[in-house]
Order: sequence, then structure tokens, then C-alpha cells
Amino acid sequence: MGTLTIGCFPGLVGNMTYDFALKLADAAVTKGHKVNIWFSGNATGSVKAHQKHLKDYSTGEKYLKALIEKGVEICTCEACTVARGIMKTEGIEGVQWNAMHWYLAKIHASDRVLQIGGE
Amino acid sequence: MKLGVFVSDFQLSSDTLERVKADKLGLIFVQNGVYHAASKVNGKASSLLDKTTNLYALSDDIQIRGLKDADVDKRVKVVSYGDVVDLIFSEYDKIAWL
Amino acid sequence: MGDVKLAFIVQKPQYKGETSRLAITHAISYQTVEILLEDGDTVTPKLCFIGEGVLGLEGKQNAMELYGITSTESHMKNTLLVDLDVLICKEDLAKYGISESAMPDAEDMGADKKIQIVPFAEIQKAMEEAKHVLFF
Repeated sequence: MGTLTIGCFPGLVGNMTYDFALKLADAAVTKGHKVNIWFSGNATGSVKAHQKHLKDYSTGEKYLKALIEKGVEICTCEACTVARGIMKTEGIEGVQWNAMHWYLAKIHASDRVLQIGGE
Repeated sequence: MKLGVFVSDFQLSSDTLERVKADKLGLIFVQNGVYHAASKVNGKASSLLDKTTNLYALSDDIQIRGLKDADVDKRVKVVSYGDVVDLIFSEYDKIAWL
Repeated sequence: MGDVKLAFIVQKPQYKGETSRLAITHAISYQTVEILLEDGDTVTPKLCFIGEGVLGLEGKQNAMELYGITSTESHMKNTLLVDLDVLICKEDLAKYGISESAMPDAEDMGADKKIQIVPFAEIQKAMEEAKHVLFF
């Protein structure tokens, strides 16, 4: 089994790339791989707890919680997150907050890295 | 290098794919990238299908668009998320998202 | 595990979107990653600009004055201050008519390191030598 680290930059709402990243993470952890996810840029807006799920929009919270339950490590870029008006106390439980070097440290121990840029 | 590239757009905004060289290149069509595998422009298939013989398209992203696996060009293998994970770990040593 | 080499490939222009800037700041963070690694472990990114990624790198930017944000020029100077290897594609600068001399340096901040203008083949080599390739 290997380690996959995914850098996800696109936002949850308005872009289905985020959904792809989470589904890939789920498939990898289900196969027994170790998975890390780093949120940066607009993806960090997804770590706020108590998201309302409107069916025209993707939802992140229940999938993030399920991934964390399965052992996936998820971390949000603190600077990107607070820049979007989200405080740590408002975040989804289990999501880590750290600086960009968290991503590089996880990459150091990874067999594969998928960096998904935003926009 | 063995490079697996995720292609997520139909109209590519850069020529990176034309420039990067790989000993083994794989193209994994996801999101709007599946149109490279399942549609033609003026009757002509995407030129990306000529770039390598290692071509894959994600079944979920085909079906969500109302396309069928049968619509996919014969050169392209339709794969699941689980298959994509296996491609990432077993077939390519580096992966890229374009 | 020792050193892990990375190739950061920036292919989007600066300023409209955030990704191309985040590539620079993520690369700079290699300077502090050691606090999360075992002794002797390091991460060494090469920061490469290709295609439209070469746009928005010129010196004499006025981002702070006009939009109240740090300029890409300032971030580029910081890459040199922390001794990052920065490679800019020579062919793409020529394609967009950008003078090589327009690329900033950080001499005024005491950095000896310079931006390297290189043929695409050098950037291809950086991708081959890296354990992981990250496109931004």
C-alpha cells in the first residue's frame, strides 16, 4: 500500500473538481492506501462546519467527516481560510489547520502526489 | 519518466501536453475531459487520442453527462475511481493535473 | 528518506487567479518544512514558469499601491532570498516578447541568487529529476 497526497485548490461550490478530489481520496483509502488532503485557495472555504446542503450545490462536510473517519488526514491552509472569514472555532471537527509546509512535509513521505490547481 | 496526466477540460488552455515528454504517457480523461473520449468535433475525434495508446476515461464523469460507455472511442478504456487509484500507484511514477 | 526533489510548474499568469501565486508561496515554504520532518530530511522544489505562466513576472510592479496586495515581484524576490532555484522558460519569454532583463532580481535585498532563464529542455529535465511534479 502507498501514500497519496492530494493538493486541492478549487472551491467546493461552483466547481466539481473538489468533488473529484474527495471521491478519488475515498477510492484510495478504501483500497487501503494512506491519503492526505491539503486545501488551499478557494478549497479552504469548505472547512466551515454546519454547511447547508442545497441540492444544486455540492456539499463537502459529510464527505470530509466520512474521510476523516476512514483515517484520511485533511488540513486546511490557515492563511487562506481566515482570509475567507472562517475562524478555527467554526471549522469542521477533525480538519487540521496549518501552514503550507504541512503540505510539503506530507509530500516528503508520499509515493504519489496529485496537485490540483484552482480556477 | 512514466507520467499519468489528468485531462479535465475539453478545450485545453495551454500547450503543456504537447511539450512535455514522457517515456510512458497516460491520459486519464475526467470531468469535461471525457469529451475527448466520447465526442467528435465536426466528425473528427480529439487529437489527444493519437498521443498515446494509454487512454482512460472515468465512467462516473461519462455517465453524469448522459453519455454512455458505448459512446467512448474504442481506443479509450473506461475506468472507475478504484481503477484510477490502481493506475496512479501501479502504472505511473508521476501524476499531473492539467 | 533524505531529500525529496519537487518540480513546481506554473502555467497560469499572475494576478487574475490565485493558483500561480500560491505556487510561489508554497515553494517558499520549503524553508520551514524541516520543523515537521525528521533530522536530515529535506524538500527541494524547483520553481518553473512555462507558457502563460511567464506573464506577470516582470519587475517594477505596483500591486501594493494599486490593489493593496503584495506584488508577485516581491514574492519572486523572496524566492531568491531563500535560495530557491527559479527557472523561467526562455522560449516562452520570447514568444510573448518579454525581455529577459525585465525579470527581477533581489540584489537590493542582498540575495546572490538569480532567476535562471532556461530552454524548455531544462524544465523538462527538472521534471524528470523530481520525485513529484506539481502543476499550478
